[in-house]
Amino acid sequence: MLIAAVVNRLADPNPSPLLKQSPTTILFGVAIVMVAFNPVSVTSLGAVVAGTIAAILATVLAGVLTAIPTVAKFALLVPAIDLIAIGFLRYGTGETLSIFSSLVILPIIWFAAEEGREHIWFAFIGTAIVLIFPAAAGQSDSSALSLLLRAAFAAAVFTIAAAVINELSRQARLRLSSVRRLAEERRRALESNEARTDQLAASEASLRQAERMFRGVWGAVTQQAVIGTDLTGLIDAWNPGAALMLRIDAAEVEDKRHVDEFHLADELEDRARELRYPAGATVLNPGFSALVEEARLGSAEVREWTYRRADGTELPVELSVTPRLDDDDETVGYLFVAHDRTKAHEVAKLKDDFVGLISHELRTPLSSILGYLELMRDDDDEQLTETQLQYLGVAERNAHRLLTLVGDLLFTAQVESGKFNLETHVQSMSPIVSAAVDSARPAAVRAGVNLIDEIVDGGMVRGDSVRLGQACDNLISNAIKFTPAGGTVTVTLGGEATHVVVSVSDTGMGIAESELDQLFSRFFRASTATRNAVPGVGLGLTITKAIVTAHGGEMSVASEEGAGTNFSMKLPIEQPVRV
Amino acid sequence: MTEAPQKATVVVADDDADIRVLVGIAVRKSGLELVGAAADGNEAWQLVSALKPDLVVTDVSMPGLSGLELCQRIRADGELSGTRVVLLSAAVDEGAHLAGLDAGAIDYLIKPFSPRELAERLVQLTQPTTAEPC
Repeated sequence: MLIAAVVNRLADPNPSPLLKQSPTTILFGVAIVMVAFNPVSVTSLGAVVAGTIAAILATVLAGVLTAIPTVAKFALLVPAIDLIAIGFLRYGTGETLSIFSSLVILPIIWFAAEEGREHIWFAFIGTAIVLIFPAAAGQSDSSALSLLLRAAFAAAVFTIAAAVINELSRQARLRLSSVRRLAEERRRALESNEARTDQLAASEASLRQAERMFRGVWGAVTQQAVIGTDLTGLIDAWNPGAALMLRIDAAEVEDKRHVDEFHLADELEDRARELRYPAGATVLNPGFSALVEEARLGSAEVREWTYRRADGTELPVELSVTPRLDDDDETVGYLFVAHDRTKAHEVAKLKDDFVGLISHELRTPLSSILGYLELMRDDDDEQLTETQLQYLGVAERNAHRLLTLVGDLLFTAQVESGKFNLETHVQSMSPIVSAAVDSARPAAVRAGVNLIDEIVDGGMVRGDSVRLGQACDNLISNAIKFTPAGGTVTVTLGGEATHVVVSVSDTGMGIAESELDQLFSRFFRASTATRNAVPGVGLGLTITKAIVTAHGGEMSVASEEGAGTNFSMKLPIEQPVRV
Repeated sequence: MTEAPQKATVVVADDDADIRVLVGIAVRKSGLELVGAAADGNEAWQLVSALKPDLVVTDVSMPGLSGLELCQRIRADGELSGTRVVLLSAAVDEGAHLAGLDAGAIDYLIKPFSPRELAERLVQLTQPTTAEPC
């Protein structure tokens, strides 16, 4: 017990030299007291005194070294001096018979406990000197050999003890340093843990804020339905807008219904057919798949669909479908944003109805005007005079102008709403262009304008003959209108490799360069037109361009003010299928 | 006494009075007999079911029954199998034209129409033909 306590104390990395010296000093003191009480044991008083002085010296040195922090190696002087002191004491108290030989173990322990195996050798050397020294000094009553043997044996025992102590203290040191290391690691781990906890708290706070923001936005969108689903279409998110639009609450829908239940089955079928799903093939739910086709392939899609509410009522919506991605950019579901188009559809229908109404209301009186004028002209009972016929002609012509205007307005409205139909056949442009030229001749004659045509059949086109005729009529009548008397209008038809080209050139007043790109806009009238008071409302070119574009063609214009203008229509040639 | 050949009978329907008179004149010119004139679709139906005319010249957009609905009713009525319908309309597009023919009209004229052409057409329609189109 005592030895273990002493060893542990000496293995402490920083005990003071005085502390380490204290056991030796105390025991030496005890030894001196014992000697004092038993003077018979003293064989050499001088040696005992010398030993005592050395012991005192060692103690003082230990004290000094403790008071002044210094290099550790100097501390080893203390046990060295102790060994000398013990040597003297032993020699002076009967040498081999001395009971104080075992004192030597104290400085041995000091040496042995130092870090480093070399201290074992110091211990050995020290022991050897202490034990052999008296024999070497010649002051002994035993034979040299027995003395040597005894000394050697004792030295060996003490050295082994020293080795053990050295090892024990080394292990104790290792354990201590390992404990210190673990303590440091734990401290660092704790620190980093704290830092991470702080980070986590901060993330949590910002996450909560983001969620609050999201909830706010989610709840605020009441005019659009925002629906989230998984990959099968099972609804997992249903915003207030959806609840309002489809008149069913989130609780009744989330995780219970699929989004395609709110669509019209035949609309989904139609789309599935459009996408050419093979019938009854690998697609489990072709309707839903058709709905999310584009989104599944990674792009957002906007289309018009019809929603059907639980109560059976329907409403048109514009739906945007986007994929929902996870952190690895895998699609995990879909997001549907629906915009109620009921009002827009109503407005469009109103516009159509309005246009239809206007058309009817304008055409009916024109019908009466032209009808009765014709009756007057054709009246067999009463022939009209030349002058009357002339007046009649003027009235008829102007009524026809009104009629044309109504038709143009109607057509423009149709163009704007994207709703005019073409009845196309594959045909040659020659008869169409010739007919247009022929019907324009009377006007050309009246205006004193020379009308020339050069028609070369350039190929077949796929087109609506009525509309194409209308386009040619527009260009030719424009040319005549804008050319003063004596001028020339040339109409050519020709073919290029891939296109048929109809070109109308005039020697008229021309168009300012700056106005060329506005030419085809609705109701636009060139400054040259207004300056020269040429009649017209500005729809002809809009209509012509719309017709040409609908046929997949191009319109172009070139002009020089005061010199003339050229308009060209390019129409793609319909390649015949070779048999 | 030799019997004069029966003139074919015609009923006209249009909400515009001037058009009704115009059609009446065309009917006269074509040598047919105008037996009734209606200002709206319901009146037109009453006249047609009562008089069972050979021809009906009707506007498409009228109050009450539209010209298309009138046409469909005539088609559906077994007793009116001899009655044929000519539609007059201000609607220019192909769709309307087809709808008219689908409803069972024998012809579709666009306003403004020429009275002369109408008269010629009516004459054509009432010529005795060797083979009736099915």
